Amino acid sequence: MGNGGWEGSTEMEFEYLIDNELRKISLEKKEEGYIFTEGEYQSPVDIKFISPNILSLIVEGRNVRIFIARDSDIFHIYLDGQRFVVREPAAFEEDQAGGEGRSLEDDLNIKAPMPGKVIKVCVSQGDAVRKNQTLAIVEAMKMENEIKSPLDAAVKAVHAADGDLVDSEKILIELEKSES
Amino acid sequence: MFKKILIANRGEIAVRIIKACRENGIKAAAVYSEADRKSLHVQIADEAVCIGPAPAVDSYLNMDAIVQAARKVGAEAIHPGYGFLSENAAFARRCEKERLIFIGPHSKALELVGDKVRSRLTMEKAGIPIIPGMKNIAEKMEVYEQEAKRIGYPVMIKASAGGGGKGMRVIKDPADLRPGLEAGRREAKAAFGDESVYLEKYIEEPRHVEFQVLADNFGHTVHLYERECSIQRRHQKIVEESPSTALDPELRAEMGETARKVMEVSGYNNAGTVEFLLDKNKNFYFLEVNARLQVEHPVTELVTGVDLVQQQILVASGKKLDYSQENIKQNGHAIECRIYAEDPLSNFLPSSGKILFLKEPWGPGIRHDCGVYSGCEIPIFYDPILAKLIVWAENREKACSRMIQALEDYVILGINTTIDFLKDVVAHPRFCEGKITTHFIESYFEDWQGREKTDESKRLALIAAAAAEGNKTLRPEKESGSFKNLPTPWRTLGKWRLGGKH
Repeated sequence: MGNGGWEGSTEMEFEYLIDNELRKISLEKKEEGYIFTEGEYQSPVDIKFISPNILSLIVEGRNVRIFIARDSDIFHIYLDGQRFVVREPAAFEEDQAGGEGRSLEDDLNIKAPMPGKVIKVCVSQGDAVRKNQTLAIVEAMKMENEIKSPLDAAVKAVHAADGDLVDSEKILIELEKSES
Repeated sequence: MFKKILIANRGEIAVRIIKACRENGIKAAAVYSEADRKSLHVQIADEAVCIGPAPAVDSYLNMDAIVQAARKVGAEAIHPGYGFLSENAAFARRCEKERLIFIGPHSKALELVGDKVRSRLTMEKAGIPIIPGMKNIAEKMEVYEQEAKRIGYPVMIKASAGGGGKGMRVIKDPADLRPGLEAGRREAKAAFGDESVYLEKYIEEPRHVEFQVLADNFGHTVHLYERECSIQRRHQKIVEESPSTALDPELRAEMGETARKVMEVSGYNNAGTVEFLLDKNKNFYFLEVNARLQVEHPVTELVTGVDLVQQQILVASGKKLDYSQENIKQNGHAIECRIYAEDPLSNFLPSSGKILFLKEPWGPGIRHDCGVYSGCEIPIFYDPILAKLIVWAENREKACSRMIQALEDYVILGINTTIDFLKDVVAHPRFCEGKITTHFIESYFEDWQGREKTDESKRLALIAAAAAEGNKTLRPEKESGSFKNLPTPWRTLGKWRLGGKH
């Protein structure tokens, strides 16, 4: 592309995850607007930035206003009355611990579902716990949320105490698989 | 009239009260916790005083700090908003002692109606219909167990000092009573600084209908008709409207008169709300008095044309009410949706963090009472209410479509909110027909998953992301000037594969 920049025919490919689905698209910058390509589908798109957070798109006769905000590698997007989260695959992989692909390790390391204050730790090291037994109670924004055990297990270690302020990354309680 | 009022609250309600002060030429002083220095109410107030660390017990519930702040700025009156100290009789008494005017009922009335058990006894004596329940607050678990048995399951645990769903729980099985009481007490303590809870009979298939009342300091009391607040989640109101589809003119008049009587019996002054439960046979029961400005007060303002905050200030300053019952009319229909920082797709977990972008809806008949802005951080320490969206139209049907459209035009990016959920609630056929009970949400929205996203919409989202990626250094003000020479991903290869056709 050399010093072509915006001029000429610059095509860029993008890989994004939208609703945990990997999509490959490309945008080609033309003198007037862009050409959007995804697999067999191709269409000219007229894209205008109204502000850093508002785009006006005219595509195949449709006129759409899109709201967008960026949080590091994640795009928060609102259009057609719905919200979308579009992220780069790398950001997704780092983040996957909180996603759908839960591993046994995730199940055994109990974290707070959101930042908050530990109201009560209901178990001690060495306790046997049943699935759905309440392990701890965390309060955020004045609502108490019970953290329940995802499986039958034993308490390996407790890393939180009543009154602690915790974020959603901190491991509160470590479980281990029961012997039986 | 007052020259300066201190607002002992935060968020959208503090903003609402500051605006009412302004309109009356009264200076408004804000208070804030260390977590709220950049909150909207602090930005727009004439003066602002830090009253302590982030936890509410150390700041917004700290009476000494608030009284000192009022002294410091020279305020003559304190408006407590809702929640926090708004129904705290000790605080009202403290204000009276300090010769600060508490904008709300006087401490004796507050004490009576705030003590839900004592107020029930008073109402029972005055012939106001009430729901069977405990006559006294108990200490021992055994007493609660006996009382629950006497009243008959299911029973409801309620916070003696509270409202707003905090500390409340329905117990169907006797085995759940003990843990329920423990949790209810903790929540009550955290929210109101008082852990007393009591039990009452839980009425099934009820509708929540409340009446707004205004009373001046000279015994003149009027009601401003009803609000229906049956759309609740975890006993927390989320959609409110006026008028109620459950009332006919006779029932409305009867309930309104009862509400007025409740306030007169209580010796109440200033603005307050009388809550009733209405059963399917149109029997109504007195629930409690909310001795404060309600979250949902705007729907009443829109149908009656009365500004309740301004009336509160007038009454507190010793003015007589300018209204007689006959000249308060209901006009059209108003609906309010509460916008919470909660994730409806993840069991309504609170969602703290930064609002990256906010665009409020506007247009005829739309009101937006808001405490947040693009770029603000939502702290974890307080109630997750962000804003209230209220619409007015000439009838209910039009108000519903206006609300759906307004919610559609309401954009908050960066944190999760209840906007999409509320849109589906208001659009639900049962809601449109007005056939609602307090079980509406659990009956129809237990497994709400949001609307299916079309491939076309997803594609548009992908185009938007790609365009934003390509334009991430876009600065609108420099679009035609030096911007051209700034590096953009279209020029700098970075991680992107350009010219993909090689």
